Amino acid sequence: MSTDLVVDGMIRTFSRVLRSDDVTPDSDFFELGGDSLLATRVLSAVAREFGPELTIGDLLVAPTPSALAKLIEVELS
Amino acid sequence: MTVAIVGAGLAGLTAATELAALGIDVVVFEARDRVGGRTHGVEVAPGQWADAGAAYLGSRHTELTALISRLGLATTPTSTEGQSRFSLRDGDPVTTDGRFPPVSAVALGELFDLLDEVTAAIRPDAPWESANAAALDAETVTEWVERSVRHADARLFFPLFLGEMMAADPDDISVLHMGFYLASGGGLQFLNAFEGGAQESRVDGGAHQIGELLAAKLGDRLRLSETVRSIAETDASVVLTTDGGTWDAEAVVVAIPPLLADAIEFHPAPPARSGSGVAPGCAIKVQLVYPSPLWRAEGLSGWSVSADGPLLSTVDDSPPGGVGVLTGFVTGAEAKRFGALTADRQRARVLAQTRRLFPSLPDPIGYHRTDWLNDPHSRGCYAALFGPGDWVATGPTLTTPHGRVHWAGTETSTEFFGLMEGAIRSGRRAAAEIAGTR
Repeated sequence: MSTDLVVDGMIRTFSRVLRSDDVTPDSDFFELGGDSLLATRVLSAVAREFGPELTIGDLLVAPTPSALAKLIEVELS
Repeated sequence: MTVAIVGAGLAGLTAATELAALGIDVVVFEARDRVGGRTHGVEVAPGQWADAGAAYLGSRHTELTALISRLGLATTPTSTEGQSRFSLRDGDPVTTDGRFPPVSAVALGELFDLLDEVTAAIRPDAPWESANAAALDAETVTEWVERSVRHADARLFFPLFLGEMMAADPDDISVLHMGFYLASGGGLQFLNAFEGGAQESRVDGGAHQIGELLAAKLGDRLRLSETVRSIAETDASVVLTTDGGTWDAEAVVVAIPPLLADAIEFHPAPPARSGSGVAPGCAIKVQLVYPSPLWRAEGLSGWSVSADGPLLSTVDDSPPGGVGVLTGFVTGAEAKRFGALTADRQRARVLAQTRRLFPSLPDPIGYHRTDWLNDPHSRGCYAALFGPGDWVATGPTLTTPHGRVHWAGTETSTEFFGLMEGAIRSGRRAAAEIAGTR
């Protein structure tokens, strides 16, 4: 799977969960209003779409679609 | 002629106040020897109060917020800063940063996705008219969990979530009621949150002051310790029979929970009301009093969640600058078991659990328990629980006046159902109905 596809998937997930049209590859989930409850919904989408079961700590370390995509690829490799 | 109001909780007092402001004669009957209904203060130290009943509010509770400021009351933020304690599995409780429970975040995400899906399918203003209402209303939440929730951690956490959110045993409510409650309260996100959510603040000095201040302005138009037994409509008026006599009124506002309204004899009988099927909300509240909020010095917030009861959760409800108060919630199925124990046994179980959760705390200097589930003048708290079939059968006539009889109470408000905000909105609606017919 290409990184671009994963980044696009994460942008869609952030947009849905945060109800925002302004998500870019470098948008910070928590700066856009994400909290721990909403974070769980990003993590359930990651598990559903790509497989890895990440933690809230992972999202704190990789809070943007592009950083999260890299983390997902590491988990998948 | 007079408008009679049955029940001096926030709904009835609001209706009475609004009607009186229009120059209409009112009389309010209250079975208890106090006002406030499911708001009630407990004096935890001289001049310091905690909420034994309804306590919290947030920015979307606009009617409540306006009323608080009209009455000259203030709010105080709910204190949640610090670490939490969780006892969800065998072994010692664990400490976490913030309020997030030590379970799989993916599992919780799946659970919240499912709840969001159910909530989005509900018409909050008329849940019985939601697409698929019949199917959603036919299934209990227990059945829904068995069918939909796969992850073990989500199954572990869900009853705790529901107990905290709705004081409900999942056996007692339909999927439609759960989705409706979440939608009515402003959505999962708002309902669940302290900061920025429905638990953001409390009334400084206690929510019971709202009822007391409204009652003071009504003066002798308020009749305490006077239970209404029957309401009979004639051609020209409606006659209320109370323990104290009979009263002629031009209209009545019944502003009590559905289970209590069902105990009144109506002539003629109203169409099926929700009381016949609903279950009482299962909440018992405990206040543990300490010389000061001792847990804060250790970096703890006072917030805890336990799967091994009796307290499902604890929260720091300390009066600002005063004694320390941990409020414990016993809810859902656990409240039914706990409520059946003797007072001594209840206290021993609460203290034993508190020692496990907060081992460095001394035993409390004060202990107060308020059992709403078994209180004959409330029959449940936070609010009545609508089980399978209740919404579809009774929703369409929930607020429809029965001749001269109008309905109020938080259970008749599709906005912020079950909350103080819903009670106030229902009282205003009932008052407007009556004012509009004159």
